[in-house]
Amino acid sequence: MKRRRFIKALAAAPAVPALVAQQPLPPQSGRGAGPGGRQTQQEIAQLPLTEAGEIADPVARFFTASQFAALRKLSGILVPPVASYIGALDCDAPEFIDFLVSASPADRQQLYRNGLDALNLQARSKYGKPFADLDATQADAILKPLMATVAWAYDPPKDPVKHFIFQAHQDIRTATRNSIEASTAGASSGRRGLAGAGLFWNPIDPV
Amino acid sequence: MARKEYDVLIIGSGHSGGMAANVLTKKGVSCLMLNAGPEVDFSRDRTTKAAHELPYRGFNKPGRLPHVYQANEFNANQWVDEKENPYTYDPGKPYNWVRVRLLGGRSLFWSRQSFRLSDFEFKAADIDGRGDNWPISHADLAPYYSQVESIFRVTGRKEGWPQFPDGNFVESNFTAPESQSIQRLTELCNQRKIGVSRMRSSQGVNGLASSINLLLPDAVATGKLDIVSNAIVREISVDKKTGLVNGAHFVDRHSKREMHAKARVVVVAAGTLESTRLLLNSGLANSSGVMGHYLHDQIYGVSVVASVPEARDGKAPQGLMGGNVFIPRFRNLTKEDKRDFIKGYCMLINSGGGANPNFFAAYGDELQKKLDSYAGSCVSGSIYGERVARFENHVRINKAVTDAWGIPVLHIDVKDSDNELNMAKDAANTMEELFKSAGWEILSKTDKFYPPGYSIHEVGTCRMGDNPKISVLNKWNQSHDIKNLFVVDGSAFVTCGWQNPTMTIVSLSMRASEYLAEQMSQRNL
Repeated sequence: MKRRRFIKALAAAPAVPALVAQQPLPPQSGRGAGPGGRQTQQEIAQLPLTEAGEIADPVARFFTASQFAALRKLSGILVPPVASYIGALDCDAPEFIDFLVSASPADRQQLYRNGLDALNLQARSKYGKPFADLDATQADAILKPLMATVAWAYDPPKDPVKHFIFQAHQDIRTATRNSIEASTAGASSGRRGLAGAGLFWNPIDPV
Repeated sequence: MARKEYDVLIIGSGHSGGMAANVLTKKGVSCLMLNAGPEVDFSRDRTTKAAHELPYRGFNKPGRLPHVYQANEFNANQWVDEKENPYTYDPGKPYNWVRVRLLGGRSLFWSRQSFRLSDFEFKAADIDGRGDNWPISHADLAPYYSQVESIFRVTGRKEGWPQFPDGNFVESNFTAPESQSIQRLTELCNQRKIGVSRMRSSQGVNGLASSINLLLPDAVATGKLDIVSNAIVREISVDKKTGLVNGAHFVDRHSKREMHAKARVVVVAAGTLESTRLLLNSGLANSSGVMGHYLHDQIYGVSVVASVPEARDGKAPQGLMGGNVFIPRFRNLTKEDKRDFIKGYCMLINSGGGANPNFFAAYGDELQKKLDSYAGSCVSGSIYGERVARFENHVRINKAVTDAWGIPVLHIDVKDSDNELNMAKDAANTMEELFKSAGWEILSKTDKFYPPGYSIHEVGTCRMGDNPKISVLNKWNQSHDIKNLFVVDGSAFVTCGWQNPTMTIVSLSMRASEYLAEQMSQRNL
């Protein structure tokens, strides 16, 4: 069974918060299925499809090489593999973040670019090399003072670099948790719901 | 070909419009309902998917729905597209207008928390020493609340508290023993004379308590209701000879073709801000100059999270954690209770959750160990607090900006006051004090709250009153200026209270619709 088909079969809770409490049950029968309903559609078996992420490598295009190298390093440190949980580098989370930020409003792009530049600047200033080349102890020495507790996600740290670290940490965790690799790892370790399945609303009669 | 003239045109299909259709058609009144959006088909329009199957891996598409904090990549298509249907505001005064235009409106997605307002809200001016009272009391609305609670199958525990009027509850099972953490919290609240109750909630049918399953099917069954979807009402029309309304111009959502529908009476039920926008664009019923003013809702976001030490590291004994309680308003109930704010808030307390990673300045293995240690040990508290209805918080038409159908949009001008800030501080401090007194470790505390509008409980822009100089509607939700025009949604509110407004909106709509039917039968309309 393809991974995607297996994951679709999981009745897992969404990893994103449940945003509306009322989720109506599906109707007993489809509209138009009654005696007066029209049943003109042909029964066509669905063909098995493959997700692009299963067969192709992502291409990072937004950040500069030094920024992206810092993002990869940061991702590996903030969300490493722990026990049976996969890490950010196991699921191309940095590459996904590159794509996500590239499609984001300017303020988010600036937050990331400035934040990654700040990490490189601090690394060069303290150790004479870019952030990506630091060893674990050196990276910790830079990152630990930048970590902040945040009581409410809409009230992030005022310091822009701490704000960046907070935002990046959240994004990398979510990108990792919602990856197909996390889903597969969770399924094989007996955990359900890690990859966040939910009811997706299709476009409804779009204009 | 001459088209049909209906007795009543109902604009909007949510809870308030649905109730109007339900009442009126059962009394033999012919109704036409126009709804701006399409009909939803749950089996066709929803699919179970994993986050990794979505284009943005469960993140919402960046920049889409920036004011709908409730939106994510799974549900993004259910909300109104802000580019298609924009609104404006000053950058320093953000407003989150959260809209649904499907048939059934926001009744498809509400939280189903079901409360009555009390005379602490209906007669708020008498208690607060400022503002205005409603022209009705709880006793006036109680018979309608009872009927609505029966239709919606509301569960709840009766308390006999004046600030938390009991309802016509269906049988509820609240006999299960409460967890020790909830018992501990209840003891502490009792010591502080804070009443602890349980959530009151609409069961509906099959988990849905919407107009499309509880109200509209009966109306359709009478044969007296026609429903047109994708009909965006641009303007309510007026008979120039009589000054009475006689129908509405609407635009087809797909083709943008304009049509006109005729009716003897118009009932506006498009939701507080859409109804107000329509009336302002129509230039109607505003001799008071009050229309669009007094926009208010509730503050959400204040929260405190604590951890029960004995429950940490998976060592919680059986019965220690779990469950929840609901604490209705307990501030400013007596004149002796002097605070630096008026009105009040409710608290929702849940036991047994985990900690948010944001609570810790940690990452990697260290963070995972903390999350594992605190899993299941947390008690969280949040509030719904009443914002004050103030004249200066208002909406007006911005003719410089139009929606995708050429209709001028709203400019929303709302700002919080010290009352909201002081209330939020009191709420956060109160929850913190309770949790600390219980011996629990505070993990997180915030007195910050979301921008106005977030609660999706916006009300007040066509408020009712006995004095036509300071109100838009009379106590029957009827325009002071135009007797065959009714507005039956939340815009009629004078004060919102801390309560979810749905039960009050639906009860007011039922009451107004019965009055309207009676007036029509007596040929007063």
